[in-house]
Amino acid sequence: MAFLQTHLPALLDGLRTTLQLTVGGALLAAALAAVAGLGRRSPRRLCRWPANVYVEVFRGTSALVQLFWFYFALPLFGVSLPALATGVLVLGLNSGAYGAEVVRSAIAAVPAGQWEAARALQLDERQALFRVILPQALPMMLPPAGNLLVELLKNTALVSLITLSELTFTAQVQRAATLETVPLFALTLAIYFAAAQVLLAGVRRLERHVTRHRRGRA
Amino acid sequence: MARLRRLALLVVLALFVAWLWPRPGELAGGAKTGGDTLARIREAGTVRVGFANEAPFAYVDAETGRLTGEAPELARLVFRQLGVAEIRGVLTEFGSLIPALKAGRFDVIAAGMYITPERCREILFSDPTYAIGEAFVVPAGNPLGLHGYRDLRDTEGATLGVVTGAIQLEYARAVGIADDRIRIFPDAPSAVDGVAAGRVSAYGATVLTVNDLLSKTSAPLERAEPFTELVLDGETVKGYGAFGFRRGDAALRDAFNQVLRGTIGTEAHLELVAPFGFTRDMLPGDATAAALCEGA
Repeated sequence: MAFLQTHLPALLDGLRTTLQLTVGGALLAAALAAVAGLGRRSPRRLCRWPANVYVEVFRGTSALVQLFWFYFALPLFGVSLPALATGVLVLGLNSGAYGAEVVRSAIAAVPAGQWEAARALQLDERQALFRVILPQALPMMLPPAGNLLVELLKNTALVSLITLSELTFTAQVQRAATLETVPLFALTLAIYFAAAQVLLAGVRRLERHVTRHRRGRA
Repeated sequence: MARLRRLALLVVLALFVAWLWPRPGELAGGAKTGGDTLARIREAGTVRVGFANEAPFAYVDAETGRLTGEAPELARLVFRQLGVAEIRGVLTEFGSLIPALKAGRFDVIAAGMYITPERCREILFSDPTYAIGEAFVVPAGNPLGLHGYRDLRDTEGATLGVVTGAIQLEYARAVGIADDRIRIFPDAPSAVDGVAAGRVSAYGATVLTVNDLLSKTSAPLERAEPFTELVLDGETVKGYGAFGFRRGDAALRDAFNQVLRGTIGTEAHLELVAPFGFTRDMLPGDATAAALCEGA
């Protein structure tokens, strides 16, 4: 009990930072994934190329090095973001790059016949995408998006590099004070697990929401 | 019922967002460099100091949440005399201290960092505030009989744990311990756990770090005694800890040094650092940053 009293308040404070990064990063990632995912399948080069460059650069380089670069190197060029903003930005850019592939593959997985049918019904490209294709692609995106979200939650542990005290780093600090390694990391694991379960419950709810029409008709 | 549940969910969600919402100041704290740092921190009344949470040099007291240790307490004293009322700690990993200082994430390193020629190429140092020797953490009974860096080098199969960015890696290399016998840990507690778990034969750190860690751990570990001080180029190696400044902040460093010279070695100073295990025989004597930077 005394153990929890000493460590839990600090760990919860760390959890708050972890969740700030997760939620902020996820919102940014979702927006970037949608734009870049659609961009990558655009017939126009001006849309396709920047999206390709973004996805390949952020997927192809280490998130830790990106954090380092944004936090320690950019200020030397006169661009300086606060630590929390840097964390959200880098984690969002990173997850967004993976998310773009989820979006692209889900759209590609909708049978070509759906596009043809939409065209036969006189829908233009845009209407076909938003009214016919995306409603079918969205339920396919959500399970891998849930994966990415949990991955993001755990990747937030990287940001201790840039002076943010998130959950893992807080656990390290508490451990430095008392050297109670085993119980502290057990508690930290439990907190991560609980946080991941809450996030995944949210994703499952979203899944039910976007597939409600299917159940309605079954 | 369904409406009530949805309402409850919304309330929970709103509370959650309110909890997460950045408080004033959390989004502040971008990098600040250039201009006259001393004038800026005097006007602000606070100076941001970087530390790596290493007792007894600079750490957060787990009970009070206060930044304390040899370096922060001394920094408080000196900065107060320079007209800066408050110090604000920025916690980061030891290896990030120098890059973060250079990027303007804080203005001073107050972590008891040793002055080394390599670090002097990156940042400026104040004059040293203490000088201490080395020690090993080993399993109880010291089964491999490790009593110094050269012992470890000459003991077949013995491995050494050090902390990332710390000086002991250079000591190990200087006496000729091969890199494949050195394990680099992210922080001191990990290195101690590494010895306890048999991942390394010994963990090399300063006397004070070792004493502090051994006073906290319940694992069957001890300080290797007697310990042969490391001698390189005919001189006994001692670590001289000091404060770090950006290369552009020579004026701030000089002002800091001036106050420091009147402080180090006084009764008030010894009283201030005594709670952290620093004693009269750890005073830096007449060593200066300039001399230590030249070094080997």
